[in-house]
Amino acid sequence: MAKKPISQNLKLASIDISLMDDQAVALLEAPQDKPESMWRDIWEGIYSNKTSLISLAFIVLLGLVAIGTKIAPGVLPYDPFQQNLSIALQAPSLAHWCGTDQQGRDIFCRILVGAQISLTVGFSAVAISLVIGVILGAVSGYRGGATDTIIMRVMDMMLAIPSILLAIAIMAALGKGVEKAVIAIGLVSIPEYARIVRSEVLAIKESDYVAAARVIGNSTPAIIMRHILPNVLPSIIVRATLGISMAILDAAALGFLGLGVQPPLAEWGDMLGRGRSEIFRAPWLMLYPGLAIMLTVLAFNLIGNGIRDGLDPKTRKR
Amino acid sequence: MENLSKSFSRRQFLKYLTAATASVGAFALVGCQSNDTTGTDGTGGTGSTGSSQYADTLTYAQGADPRALDPAFFDDGESAKVACNIYEGLYRYDDKTTDVLPSLATALPDISEDGLTYKINLRQGVKFQDGTDFTADAVRVSWERQLSPNATSDMPYASFVFGSPDIGSGLDSINIVDDYNIELTLRAPSSAFLRNLAMTLAAPICSPTALNNNAGNISEAPVGTGPYSFVSWTKSDNIKLLAYADYWDTANAPKTKNVIFKVIPENATRVTALLNNEVDVIDGVDVSAADQIINSGFTLFAEDGMTINYMAFNTSAGVCTDQDVRRALAQAVNVEELVTALYGDYASPATTVMPLWMAPYASGVTPVSFDPDTAKATLAAKGVTSLTCITYTNPRPYNTKGGQVLAESIQGYLQNIGVTMTITPYDWTTYKTKVQTDPFDIAFYGWTGDNGDPDNFMNLLADPNPSMNISRFNDPDYNALIVKGLETPDGPDRDAVYLQCEEMVAEKAPWLCISHAKNLCGVNPKVNDFYYHPTGSVFLRGVTKNA
Amino acid sequence: MLKYIIKRLLMVIPVLLGVTIIIFLITRILAPDPAPVVLGEHATPAAMAAWRADHGLNDPIWLQYGHFIINALHGDLGTSYYTNAPVTQEIFSRFPATAELAICAIVVASLIGVGLGRLSAVRKNKLADHASMFVALIGVSMPIFWSGILLIILFAGILHWLPSNGRVSPMLQPTGGTGFYILDTLMRGDWTALRDVLLHLILPTLALSLYSLAIITRMTRSSMLDSLNEDFIRTARAKGLRRRTVNNRHALRTAMLPVTTVIGLQFGSLLGGALLTETVFSWPGIGKYTVDCVLKSDFPVIQGVVLLIATIFVIVNLVVDIIYAFLDPRIKYGTKADD
Repeated sequence: MAKKPISQNLKLASIDISLMDDQAVALLEAPQDKPESMWRDIWEGIYSNKTSLISLAFIVLLGLVAIGTKIAPGVLPYDPFQQNLSIALQAPSLAHWCGTDQQGRDIFCRILVGAQISLTVGFSAVAISLVIGVILGAVSGYRGGATDTIIMRVMDMMLAIPSILLAIAIMAALGKGVEKAVIAIGLVSIPEYARIVRSEVLAIKESDYVAAARVIGNSTPAIIMRHILPNVLPSIIVRATLGISMAILDAAALGFLGLGVQPPLAEWGDMLGRGRSEIFRAPWLMLYPGLAIMLTVLAFNLIGNGIRDGLDPKTRKR
Repeated sequence: MENLSKSFSRRQFLKYLTAATASVGAFALVGCQSNDTTGTDGTGGTGSTGSSQYADTLTYAQGADPRALDPAFFDDGESAKVACNIYEGLYRYDDKTTDVLPSLATALPDISEDGLTYKINLRQGVKFQDGTDFTADAVRVSWERQLSPNATSDMPYASFVFGSPDIGSGLDSINIVDDYNIELTLRAPSSAFLRNLAMTLAAPICSPTALNNNAGNISEAPVGTGPYSFVSWTKSDNIKLLAYADYWDTANAPKTKNVIFKVIPENATRVTALLNNEVDVIDGVDVSAADQIINSGFTLFAEDGMTINYMAFNTSAGVCTDQDVRRALAQAVNVEELVTALYGDYASPATTVMPLWMAPYASGVTPVSFDPDTAKATLAAKGVTSLTCITYTNPRPYNTKGGQVLAESIQGYLQNIGVTMTITPYDWTTYKTKVQTDPFDIAFYGWTGDNGDPDNFMNLLADPNPSMNISRFNDPDYNALIVKGLETPDGPDRDAVYLQCEEMVAEKAPWLCISHAKNLCGVNPKVNDFYYHPTGSVFLRGVTKNA
Repeated sequence: MLKYIIKRLLMVIPVLLGVTIIIFLITRILAPDPAPVVLGEHATPAAMAAWRADHGLNDPIWLQYGHFIINALHGDLGTSYYTNAPVTQEIFSRFPATAELAICAIVVASLIGVGLGRLSAVRKNKLADHASMFVALIGVSMPIFWSGILLIILFAGILHWLPSNGRVSPMLQPTGGTGFYILDTLMRGDWTALRDVLLHLILPTLALSLYSLAIITRMTRSSMLDSLNEDFIRTARAKGLRRRTVNNRHALRTAMLPVTTVIGLQFGSLLGGALLTETVFSWPGIGKYTVDCVLKSDFPVIQGVVLLIATIFVIVNLVVDIIYAFLDPRIKYGTKADD
């Protein structure tokens, strides 16, 4: 699956463009929308959908757990990194809700701590692809001509290489590490954002208010920053929410293939991948990390749905 | 007008598209439906010959595709397991030990006083599976391509088995006396050479006709004199062999008609395939699946392997150049607890480099014992507070849990005595380069013996090449012992040399020896006489499966 | 139209060139040295140096790249470092396995996905809609390596209903032929083998199709919702056509436009994406093999596989774009509509 998130959704992105055509048009109709109103739309989209709201609560909770365990590791009943071989591979019990692993570490605590890495990877990988992708897409779409051709052809090349192979090659060469996983996953998703932004910029740049801004004498970067990007934001936000869930899945896939984090760090995919050889003796080793991944990814997807509904003028009207 | 025709073709196009999708889909659904109620029929194709009480097909599952099926071109166990059933050498190992017996030779060689000339008489009336007669020429053709200067760099075991002129070792020339007598001349005496000739790597004899027809590499069309002939190789999937009707050793003729080697990379899937009766024998069983196999009514094969799983200290740079530091770090680790926790009953804590069944004389050797308090005091006095460590992630034959789990456990022990160890794990391939190029205090490694000779193990710590000797241990006394051991013929004198080596390792602690693993296989209870040889070969000629 | 196709075809060349350059840079600069793996544990540094020189790895990158391109243009992708076999042979002996799995997965995903999506749209906000959407969401949210292993343990390990690995029981394996086992067994009329092949396909197909299924379901739903609101559908209903007919004949058909594109694109990526599925199900295709080769630094194979997948990807995209241009009256080809 994780392969798919990386490359498939590249294509999904290009699909989304066609889907979002109407949406983009709708947004054009109301370019005067204040940013606050967009955020209000997003909030209303999430708020009006029970599952989205629950998911948001779940992610906020997860975020608090991640931050809390980072700042005050003492709140955890067990040290998630301290080995204790005498209690290795214990089945789930009242003392250890999700059992213990090969090193006798409490799996529940490790899953909680693992949220730090999954969320970090999710948000930072998306941040990388988002920032670079948006800049490339905006420049490409706004400037057009040779710049556009060159940037988009390079994006095409990146799309054509199986991205998980790229990620694997990068990780295999550099060794394990969260920051390397973030870079590997972030880099391979750049083209998606670039394509979305470019196509929206193409649609918006000929509009009257951009033309007006140009007439007034605003510089190109200013026009992009002040007038174009705010209008591209909605589709980017929707895409980014889904992107986080994909990044988490991709990180898990790398972990599963043994290319994840440095020990003794806890990362869900790594825990799952390493637990799979114990499936017969200690199934909880792969069951719970898998559940953690699934729930988190599900939550991001549901939030994404809510945001999409909130921003989609058609659903609002209906 | 133009519009009309376009819309028409568009509609037609859609229709075709829908029709095509629907038909393929309907077919897939029919396929699924017809399968719902039925179970699998195991290895399939058990159309038995009727007369025998044995099944005619045996399926053996292993974790990776062979690298090659020409003995000159592989170095992996997956290839060796297949190849040892197709090819034979002049000598072979005894069924369960590494004692050498004649195979295509009629007797053990007649070795000259100086240990430099081997006279060998070859078996007559043996035919390769392609009908070619086995003669002295076949030996020459199979081996000469692997001798300097013919040998190419992608023949991974040529220099190990046949030596090289650069270091003045190994086979200098093959002299054909007549069709069934040869004389080998060595560059230097070597007590390990005969054992090398029994190996499945490099040494087996190939059909000269086949070599001639395939430009000197019969990887894709292997032909030997062994009990099974090659049928097909579907890459990454399976290799099929067929009993060779004219096998020379009629007393040991193959009893099962078809043998299939299947590739199933995932450990858990391999176990499931065994329990689901899809395959008859699996190897590379993880300790964690052992109970499952036994409880499901299958047989767990667990015999001592020829391996050592060790932690190496860097003796050429950093804090571990100090022997006291090395010994103190070794003292911090409760090897016995560690081995039990990680490998259960399926590995024994190591006190020596060689497994004790290979070197019973070394049973009295005692390494430093577990003593965290002394360790803590020593290391505090030496000011050692942090160490760097590199390790591998993959499971290895000597460490089925993989180097990362092992490193994490050691990390835990060191944390207990106030030493932080940073672990950088790499995938195996990358790791093999990293141990040569990257700085480290501690690294994890292991060794699977090639030929059952003590030199094959003890030599590791004398090797000038850091890819073998990752500790960079360089002790002139030790190196002298290794040279002496190779020149001394097998016997008590030779044993004494290697006992001295073992004692030196225990004292100077370039390594912390951790465990000797058992080879674990899962076997269907219907299978008889299966044995996993300590060299990693699997000889299937005597193996049967009840029908 | 023709001009558009030719223009698109010409653009494939620089993309493929670029892809090979990128992969060349990555393998030659980033990847670990292949020599220790190829030459084995007993190799001396001298032997490794000799091997690297033999294989041109000491040459400047542009020279190595030039050799590669010239040979590739002659259809020669070199030989695998690790097995010494020609790369084309190594790849094409494994490719049918991946292709067959990907085709089955996309067929299953399309059928079920379109079905669920249609159901969902027609019953918007009813139980069936929520159920379908839930299935779709679970589909995108489960790590395939996790669900795959659980499927194997359940259906092969516990229930003993299905085989746990591989494409076919070895003794039933069709030899010769196309390498597409469904086709081979069908052509031979070997029903026992066909049944065995289909049994082996069920679990990997299920695991691999889940993700695409989810996306196709969502796409069909939203696209069908759009078309149900179109004027001509309302007109059709107003004219008194049966609701079912309207839904199937008109709304679904219109909705298929974007769905076709998704299906095409999903297929292109499934080919490259079977990697984890192949790992879990011991499927003897190129996905798992390529990962092994990346980890072994087998450069010629990595280059070959990437070139192959990139080519397929580009062609599938091209075909999808052409189909789309052909199907959608709003798109004018020949102009700047290619993105």
